[in-house]
Amino acid sequence: MTAPALDDSPSAAAAGSPREGRRQRAATPHRSVTVKWSRFSYVFVSGYVLFALAFGVLPTLYAVFIAFLDNEGRFSGITNFTKVLADFRFWPAAAHVGLFLLVWLVALMVLVTLLALVVHGIGRRWLSSSLRFVYYIPGALAGASSVVLWLFVLNPTVSPVSAVLHAFGFETFVQTVSPGNLPVVFAVIAFWTGAGNWIIVMYGALNSIPDEVLEAARMDGAGAVRTALHIQLPMLRKWIAYMAVMSLAAGAQLFVEPRVLSQATHAVVPTDWSLNQLTYLYAFKQQDLNGSAAIAVLLLVASLAVSLFFVVRGGLFERD
Amino acid sequence: MSATDLRTRPRREQTPGAWLGRATVVVITVFFVLFFAVPIVWLLIATGKSPHALITTGPFALGSLGDLSANWEALVRFQDGIVFQWLGNSLLYSVGALVITLITTIPAGYALALGNFRGRKVLLTTTLVVMLIPNTALVLPIFLEMSAINLIGNPLAAILPFSFFPFGVYLTYIYFSTSVPRDLLNAARIDGCGELAVFARIAMPLALPVIALVGFFSFVANWNNFFLPFLTVPGRAAPIQVGLTELLGSVPAFNPTSAGVTAIELPTLAVATLLSVTPVLLVFLFSQRFLVAGLTAGGTKE
Amino acid sequence: MTKPTTRAVRTRLSGVSVAAVAALLALTACTPGVSPTDGEAADSPFGFATAEQKADAPITVWVDASRQPAADAFAEAYPDIPIEVETYDGGADGSGSFQTKIQAFNQAGSGWPDVVFSTQNNDAAWASQGDDPFAAPLDQGYFDQSFLDGFTEGALAPLTVDGAVYGLRNDIAPTVTWYDESLMEKFGYEVPTTWEEYRELGLKVAEEHPGYIVGGIGDAFAEEIYFWGAKAPLSTVVDANTFSADASDPHATQMAEILDDLLDAGALAQEDVFSPDFVQKHSGKVLMLPGPAWFSGAIFNNPSSLDAKPGTIAVGAPLAWEGEEPAAGNVGGGTWFISQHSENLEAAKTFLEFVTSDERYQVDLAPGLPAYQDAADKWLARQAEDGFFAGDFAAALSSASTQVWDGWGYPRFSQEAVWNKTVTPKLAAGENLVDLLPEWETAIENEAQVNGYTIK
Repeated sequence: MTAPALDDSPSAAAAGSPREGRRQRAATPHRSVTVKWSRFSYVFVSGYVLFALAFGVLPTLYAVFIAFLDNEGRFSGITNFTKVLADFRFWPAAAHVGLFLLVWLVALMVLVTLLALVVHGIGRRWLSSSLRFVYYIPGALAGASSVVLWLFVLNPTVSPVSAVLHAFGFETFVQTVSPGNLPVVFAVIAFWTGAGNWIIVMYGALNSIPDEVLEAARMDGAGAVRTALHIQLPMLRKWIAYMAVMSLAAGAQLFVEPRVLSQATHAVVPTDWSLNQLTYLYAFKQQDLNGSAAIAVLLLVASLAVSLFFVVRGGLFERD
Repeated sequence: MSATDLRTRPRREQTPGAWLGRATVVVITVFFVLFFAVPIVWLLIATGKSPHALITTGPFALGSLGDLSANWEALVRFQDGIVFQWLGNSLLYSVGALVITLITTIPAGYALALGNFRGRKVLLTTTLVVMLIPNTALVLPIFLEMSAINLIGNPLAAILPFSFFPFGVYLTYIYFSTSVPRDLLNAARIDGCGELAVFARIAMPLALPVIALVGFFSFVANWNNFFLPFLTVPGRAAPIQVGLTELLGSVPAFNPTSAGVTAIELPTLAVATLLSVTPVLLVFLFSQRFLVAGLTAGGTKE
Repeated sequence: MTKPTTRAVRTRLSGVSVAAVAALLALTACTPGVSPTDGEAADSPFGFATAEQKADAPITVWVDASRQPAADAFAEAYPDIPIEVETYDGGADGSGSFQTKIQAFNQAGSGWPDVVFSTQNNDAAWASQGDDPFAAPLDQGYFDQSFLDGFTEGALAPLTVDGAVYGLRNDIAPTVTWYDESLMEKFGYEVPTTWEEYRELGLKVAEEHPGYIVGGIGDAFAEEIYFWGAKAPLSTVVDANTFSADASDPHATQMAEILDDLLDAGALAQEDVFSPDFVQKHSGKVLMLPGPAWFSGAIFNNPSSLDAKPGTIAVGAPLAWEGEEPAAGNVGGGTWFISQHSENLEAAKTFLEFVTSDERYQVDLAPGLPAYQDAADKWLARQAEDGFFAGDFAAALSSASTQVWDGWGYPRFSQEAVWNKTVTPKLAAGENLVDLLPEWETAIENEAQVNGYTIK
């Protein structure tokens, strides 16, 4: 069997699997090569596995482990979990994070895809790349820096968009960050810093769609919208799912933003607004590591359940 | 010729629908340009204003160079220039971790994508799972690990945990699985190349875009990390993000107890914020090219 | 051929990881946070179990940015005592960073600083408790009683837990009645001395001179000015583990009514006094502003804030209820702690004595009213010399500092955070304080419970 021709079927770049069949056929006569390759793979992953154990697996196991102990180190069953679920701050915090995630994920999935398509569809290269640059810049301000910036932007007295704030009826900073607005406020901040990243990722994914496919669609008379809906979006499915999963993971961990905002507003934004802030309070204010771990485990289970949905629907583990 | 060229070919009819479509695109684009750019522009302008001017003049009214240097002076004077110490720390931790990350994640993603070994799926699932865990749950156990080996306050206590970058592995995995054909590698093997040679001579050159990509994301993530360094490298060893919140604690508007003495005013905080993001911005500017190319499945095209 | 090998590898790998997990867990289990101590508590001259002392071990001092001058002054005055200064946010706004870090060190079993400054004066409530408390008791043989007696009466109250003193007060911050004498004269008003008169004045001002304010309710510490000063029992620390709050007490309800009336009339500022909004809206229009002593340098004598003209602002005694004694609230006043784990308790003691009582810091550099009586007298004299404030500034502040109501305790959680979370947004949205009282009480009780208090 000669070296197989390069595969250029439309689906090769994204979600297809015709290569798998070809791979299996090629592998059989060269078993010794694949055997050696398999063994060598361990060497390649060894460094990462070491770090994954030390800073990923072991801490996770430890957290799960102590969630079932009491503070003397004795097994305590699910008492930590019942205590945490009965805490008057738990369900409000869960609701806050849930709302935030809803607003943010929807905005992310819809707007990022839209913007990526728009940017991709622009003919002039310089325009396209400067737009991408502009969209990305806020991403450089992630974390504490962006929250500090937004402290100013959300304050109608000094904000560059005070007209917008006034239009919403916010005359003072306290009004802008009143409890009802917080999920949207944090979603806006998160979108502002995070969207650029993903727009670039989507743009790159769009670039990987072969021209022949798009040409064929154009010749069939498909306009921009039809092309987007029937050709580009399905190709992006995997990436959109990946974006959703990653954003879900990051969003559920919301900590720095409410913490800094809490500091700056003297706790008008409460110190227990998000679930992660609650785990922090349990661990360090109430000196209850076990309760803290219990919340973390609950958060993990919930995140896993929802992300499994995206993983399955988005076909993340299919290999090309 | 790229797909984008299709859009610039003149259309024979400009239907109202097409015109509306174009107008919508323009409106969307302009709106989002403003949305993303206005706060940054404001930040740049705010650094050059005096505290009084910040409140009284319009957001886009320019400040003065004199005020800018006054703000800069105030920042540099704060605790004898600790802001530079913080910046240096951030640089050390981010770059140190970056190097280790690249060494460990690129080969790992390669093996996950193109290898076939037992535990591949397990490793992938583990990676995804660990990415989903709230990081406050992990920070304390990691802190205990670091203190058990007496590393608290040592730069390694930040660099080592930062080096664990599952997102990088995932990115590399996706890249290698979509843009490097197995057949290419098999061909090299048949020709007698050892595994290391296959990796170094065939896969690596193809992987330059993803290396730049992973490097970039790793650097940015490390630079912006807050809670872990807050615990493991406190005080003078802190990175700029932690330092920024400490600066926040010295702004009277945010902390009444600091009023009157060594206070930091709002525009100085703006300068500090700008300073804290400049390195990342610079890095981004330089890696613009790779950021786009990195995700193009360039291995099989053109 | 591959299967046995890979299976063997996998078993080995999993075996390794199990062993690693076990090892790490054993390690962490072995660091329960109990520090090695040499002295027996009963026999130690300090009155608590101490770590091994080293005569010239450097002391690590944590300060916030505003207290950096204190550390610098000490280094200048005592060049032979090696100190390492680290700055942090001082625990501002209930950030809890002091407690976080100490908790982390307790877990690790090492790394504690020797001296810590905290802006929150309720830190003794947790720092003195637990199996391995952080704060060293100072009056069990460590400091001279004569030195401790030199503090203004009541200054050490927040730091006294179960009868022992666990830290030293940096400055005291009783609430007083700040007013603009020039405006009072101009409008022909008399300075109120009771809460009832205050209310009358506020309503009059709102009618005759709308736009002028007699107080502010937009700060996190508003409850410490008004409710503490009104002797409302909303923070009763019965003992180290019991707490009670009663918002239906007449002192609380009457104060809430007064504040509601003034708010409705528009005589109270709703912005936080440090925000740009406050300065923008109320500059030149502050007729009265009940608040802590440190408003002196932070608000009035500050070009970035109200920037009052010299000679216009004066201080009156804290307001009282008709027929009752005046009572002051308290807003802040930082505290200095020494760690029980310190290896150089002598140096730490010298440091604390310097920063709380020495002229070179407390009189020359400190922005607030010192808690040490001697230093306070000299500080007040200097302020009087500068002549910025009208009236008998020194006398008013001195008497206020002894009038802080002792019925308001210092629990382990931040009352300011509870107020700001529960009340401030709702007030901003236009709700009535009287209606919010039950909700506020519940919020305080909830917070107390999760912090380990039993509600009485």
